[in-house]
Amino acid sequence: MSDSSSTEYVTLVSNDGYEYKILRSAACIAGTIKKALDPHSGFLETTQNRVELPTINGVVLEKVCEYLYYHQKHAESKDVPDMDIQPELCLELLIAADYLDV
Amino acid sequence: MIAGRGRQRIRPPRRGLHGDDLDFDSTWVSIEAAFREIHTKNASRLSYEELYRHAYRIVLKKRGDELYKNVYEFEKNWLASEVRGSIDQLLSPNLLANVQNVGGTTANERRVSGEKFLKGLKQAWGDHQVCMSMLADVLMYMDRVYCQDHRRPSIYTAAMFLFRNEILQSNISETDERDVLGLLNHVILEQIQMERDGDIIDKHLIKSCVHMLDGLHADDLESDDQRLYNVSFEREYLDTSRIFYRTEAEALLRDSDAGAYCGHARSRIHEEEDRCRSTLLDSTTKKIQNVVEAELIQNRIHELVEMESGVRFMIDNDRRVELNLIYDLNARVDENKSEVTRAIQRRLVEMGTAINSDAIAASQATSTSAQEKNLNQQTVAAIKWVEDVLVLKDKFDRIWRESFNSDNLLQTAITRSFADFINSPTFPRSSEYISLFIDENMKKGIKGKTEAEIDLVLEKAITLLRYVQDKDLFERYYKKHLCRRLLMNKSISNEVEKQMISKMKIELGNNFTAKLEAMFKDMAISEELTSGYKRYVEGLGDRDPKRIELSINVLTSLTWPMETIGGTGEDDASKRPQCNFPASVEKIKRGFELYYNEKHSGRTLTWLPNMGTADVKAVFPRVPQKDGSLKERRHELNVSTYAMVILLLFNELPVEQSLSFNEIQAQTNIPHNDLVRNLQSLAVAPKTRILRKEPMSKDVKPDDQFFFNEGFKGNFVKIKVGVVSNGNKVESDRERRETEKKNDDSRNFCIEAAVVRIMKQRKELSHQNLMTETLSQLAAQFKPDVHMIKKRLESLIEREYLERVEGAESYRYLA
Repeated sequence: MSDSSSTEYVTLVSNDGYEYKILRSAACIAGTIKKALDPHSGFLETTQNRVELPTINGVVLEKVCEYLYYHQKHAESKDVPDMDIQPELCLELLIAADYLDV
Repeated sequence: MIAGRGRQRIRPPRRGLHGDDLDFDSTWVSIEAAFREIHTKNASRLSYEELYRHAYRIVLKKRGDELYKNVYEFEKNWLASEVRGSIDQLLSPNLLANVQNVGGTTANERRVSGEKFLKGLKQAWGDHQVCMSMLADVLMYMDRVYCQDHRRPSIYTAAMFLFRNEILQSNISETDERDVLGLLNHVILEQIQMERDGDIIDKHLIKSCVHMLDGLHADDLESDDQRLYNVSFEREYLDTSRIFYRTEAEALLRDSDAGAYCGHARSRIHEEEDRCRSTLLDSTTKKIQNVVEAELIQNRIHELVEMESGVRFMIDNDRRVELNLIYDLNARVDENKSEVTRAIQRRLVEMGTAINSDAIAASQATSTSAQEKNLNQQTVAAIKWVEDVLVLKDKFDRIWRESFNSDNLLQTAITRSFADFINSPTFPRSSEYISLFIDENMKKGIKGKTEAEIDLVLEKAITLLRYVQDKDLFERYYKKHLCRRLLMNKSISNEVEKQMISKMKIELGNNFTAKLEAMFKDMAISEELTSGYKRYVEGLGDRDPKRIELSINVLTSLTWPMETIGGTGEDDASKRPQCNFPASVEKIKRGFELYYNEKHSGRTLTWLPNMGTADVKAVFPRVPQKDGSLKERRHELNVSTYAMVILLLFNELPVEQSLSFNEIQAQTNIPHNDLVRNLQSLAVAPKTRILRKEPMSKDVKPDDQFFFNEGFKGNFVKIKVGVVSNGNKVESDRERRETEKKNDDSRNFCIEAAVVRIMKQRKELSHQNLMTETLSQLAAQFKPDVHMIKKRLESLIEREYLERVEGAESYRYLA
């Protein structure tokens, strides 16, 4: 694979054009993103280090990224405080989570 | 929480986000096209997200089963056409021919075509794996949702099954019924066989094929014991190996010796181990080892051990490395190493028995010659026996250490074998011989040796002693021999004697050595007595110029073997013929008795002149010397007490007068046997012929006449007149029987004591239990005869120590 395959940050793109650059390790918590970036299979995403997610809008994706970091941060601790999630986002977040296999 | 925000409503997600309408067919077309790209390794242009989204949508629209089916069919077709096609190209006629018969193609050709086939298969498998993992990634959502809900195997697993069905289990060609899997197995086995024959093969390649087999299962359940590797390949591998090693073992047994066989077998075992590590799977190691061990060792070990060049040959020729090999091999298949152990034991007993019969033969070889000489020869034979046994022991010890890794089991086996032949009923003299060996060393052997060497000799004697069962018999002999050594001052070093005793004490316990130690004590007391008496005599004041010096040994009659000292130990002291001492000697004897009774009242002293010696100064009349002058000669004669008494008789006799044998006996009252022996040494032995005998002959007859030999010539001033048969020698048969009888008597006593001890404690005991307890109590001393115990029991019942319990096979103790 090309050199870019091992960058520390990757880009996630929402359907309304927002781009989020987040840590690769955090992004790979989501199963779908992890597979998309898997260097062994060599899909288009791998070469660009950029995953477009046309099913998710910017607001939700922001929350997703927040969650990924949140997850990474608290992965090994107990009694983790709940994350603040607006009820109106709940359903869409659920769908996104299902899609991304978080 | 949610209740607290009651006013807010959760909006349904906006429709259209995932596309309401779904054209399954067109979506499938694009997916299928993408799959094709993946299979041809062109994935870098495809967007994972896009494909994932397609699959996601399809599943979301409840058409997962169609998608699954389509993918399945797609893979099946792909394998059947594309992959199968490339494999078919590898199935060269060369390769196919091999399966049927090996002839016709060279090994090299076979190897090349085989390798090509393996490589192709490995390639196909590798590609399939990579592609399927990519497909599985894309279809992740399907796997997660559809497959789990409908209990279908994930698409990846399903594709693996497809590979097995479509490629491995397909026929080689339309006309050929065999499947590719069989061919694969065959090729791998052939490669392994090539390696066994010394060729170099591509281990890595085979290993990856083996991994493929390991990754696939024979059924669709993926159970561990159903791996293709296990059910198909491994089984064949083990079978062919078994056949191979069976024939190899046969050929080797026929063509080479046992040592080479062992070496070969061992290297084969290591080879197989290596092979499993480098070429096959570790899980096979144990199984193939079992096969090799079974074929090369287990089924052959007996033949191997028995071979002409087998264990026996190795022992005889000290092939310790080979013995180690065979031991190692045997240990692999048999924890007890029974074959090797048996062979070792048999050989050991054989060699031991040979030593035994050598000793017997040597001791009987010259039984026609004179009795005395014969005894001497027997003594030599006894010592030789002990030395031979020690050499044998050394040999086996070294073998045990170097070849058998100091194996405990073998040690006990060896020990048992030693005990077997040393105690063998056909060779009853081991106790005596060992004691004689010690005796010999005490008298001569240790002269000029360092302490460490002496220690070694003693240690050896003790090791042998350890094997002896009848320790009481040994004690009897040792006592007898020790007694002679002590009384006649034959022992070189008292220190060493004591060392020996203390060693025995460690080995056999206090009981055993108590009497021996008492003997030493007696000796020490006697020394004090002698010097005390000397002072006492000096204190008396009358300085008699003709005073005779006396040194004396006072012995406690119970601790010393009386039969050795008194000739016939059982005779009462009063019945023993009392020797008539000449007046001058008698006076001293009285003096000492007086002195002794002053110190210890109430003790009886019995004089044992047959054990004593005397220094006599003798003057011989002038006889012409070589230079013509006449010279009086003085000699100091060291003679036995009896001989002194005899010589003193001649003191009072005018020259040229003679005494007959009967006269001497009448005057001295010396027992017949002793008299004959002493007269023999005085009148017959050529170097010490102080008396003259008429007629001149070897034997002493009752009416022989004895003269003082005035013409006696001696080269030294001091002359020792040895009395025949004073040293420690092997017993004659008569003596032996006596010793044994005495031993039996004392054994009877021991058995009775043991029985009474046991019964006193138990009060009541069954016959069987009593027997076992008695046997175990006495084991340290000797191994009693069951018959003997029974007799003792009868006698105890008669004397009302015990009674039989009515109706039961048991006894009761009567206080």
